[in-house]
Amino acid sequence: MRIFFDPEVLAAAWPGIRSGIGVTLGLALTSIAAGVALGLLLATVRALIQGAPLRPVGGLIAAYADVFRAMPPLVLLVVLYFAAPFAGIELSGFMAAFVALGLVLGASAEEIFWAGITSVNRGQWEAALSTGLSRGEAFRRVVLPQAVRLTIPPLTNRAIATGKNTALASVVAVPEVLNQAASVQAQTASPAPLLLAAGVYVALFLPLVRLGRWLETRFHIR
Amino acid sequence: MSDVLELRGVGKTFAGIPALRDIHLAVGASELVALIGPSGSGKSTLLRCCNRLTEPDAGDVVFEGEPVPAGGAELASVRRRMGMVFQAFNLYPHLNALENAALAPRRAAGLSQGEAETAAREALERVGLGDRTSAMPDELSGGQQQRVAIARALALRPRILLLDEPTSALDPELVGSVLRVIRSLREDGVAMLIATHEIAFAREAADRIAFLADGEILECGPPAEVLDRPRTERLQSFLSRL
Repeated sequence: MRIFFDPEVLAAAWPGIRSGIGVTLGLALTSIAAGVALGLLLATVRALIQGAPLRPVGGLIAAYADVFRAMPPLVLLVVLYFAAPFAGIELSGFMAAFVALGLVLGASAEEIFWAGITSVNRGQWEAALSTGLSRGEAFRRVVLPQAVRLTIPPLTNRAIATGKNTALASVVAVPEVLNQAASVQAQTASPAPLLLAAGVYVALFLPLVRLGRWLETRFHIR
Repeated sequence: MSDVLELRGVGKTFAGIPALRDIHLAVGASELVALIGPSGSGKSTLLRCCNRLTEPDAGDVVFEGEPVPAGGAELASVRRRMGMVFQAFNLYPHLNALENAALAPRRAAGLSQGEAETAAREALERVGLGDRTSAMPDELSGGQQQRVAIARALALRPRILLLDEPTSALDPELVGSVLRVIRSLREDGVAMLIATHEIAFAREAADRIAFLADGEILECGPPAEVLDRPRTERLQSFLSRL
């Protein structure tokens, strides 16, 4: 038992892990915000484009969403960090993780928003347009508010997954929680820092999971 | 009398099947024209062609002497002055009655929030729902929801109302409340084009009745003429099955 909870090792590991919490939260919040914003933007463009010249745009957005939902975030991350420099693109570990997680969440979020938008009854668009609202106003005031209610539960799940995936950044030397714990574990050959890190992740993300549960009941469609 | 709305040779085909053929129909100021006919005869399509929710592929729709524009802000402006009421109400479920009726005055007609709410409140009072302004659609009966939908159209002070089977989705005991509102609008001189299965209502309230079958207007005239002296076999058999 002592080997898993060695107080001396834990005391040595704690300052690093504590500073890692800030990095983990910073990476999680920025990539969740960027991914959700990207998904909403793309789904909005896809919903509002009409007319032949712009139609391929919708196809491009759908293709982006498909490719990045098929891509493991870890693979995208190592490509961005280790392969992109050969194309002259130098990203810090943090930036590479932010871009990878943001792009992957953006793809899922786009599909989730799009599914929400298309599930709003066509009669809602027609009622809004029949009163002389522009397509943009109809979308913003009538369709999107209803779509967002449908998207909150699946979107919360994807956001939590993105937050947990920040641990992947440890492979590109971002000093987040897992990276800090692993380096102390390597120095001390003790598993205790990893267990501490696991506890920290649960403490960080359990409230988000609970929040998701609450949002699900709050936005339940009557 | 100048016509508010006139259809000149309007036609529409869906996937090769003609839904409307060479429709000529005019609605004068403060006139109520009822469209009757079997399901699938083209009543809804005809109404939806008026404000281009469905794009006609032949003929012209003329509103207040001008062709209805194909799109953009000009079409939106015409739609604002042509209120539409749907069979399924299509109220915005996330907005209360007042917000439903105030949205277009605020965001389409560009009134201030206060002016838009005043217009919405007056419209709700006119349909007898002045005391339910803060009710959400799912807290209202079907008849009340349809009256909110009528108020939503009226709040824009339209020149004509297009009503697409406004009572067909209602329980029988709620039909009367909606028809009463439509009658009172008629007394106030609101021009209306209404698709309906309520033949008794059409007889008593309509200035003219148009009978549609297979996308064509087979008969059109005053109720007494159309309903009591049908000239075509189609109308005779339609009326005998009621």
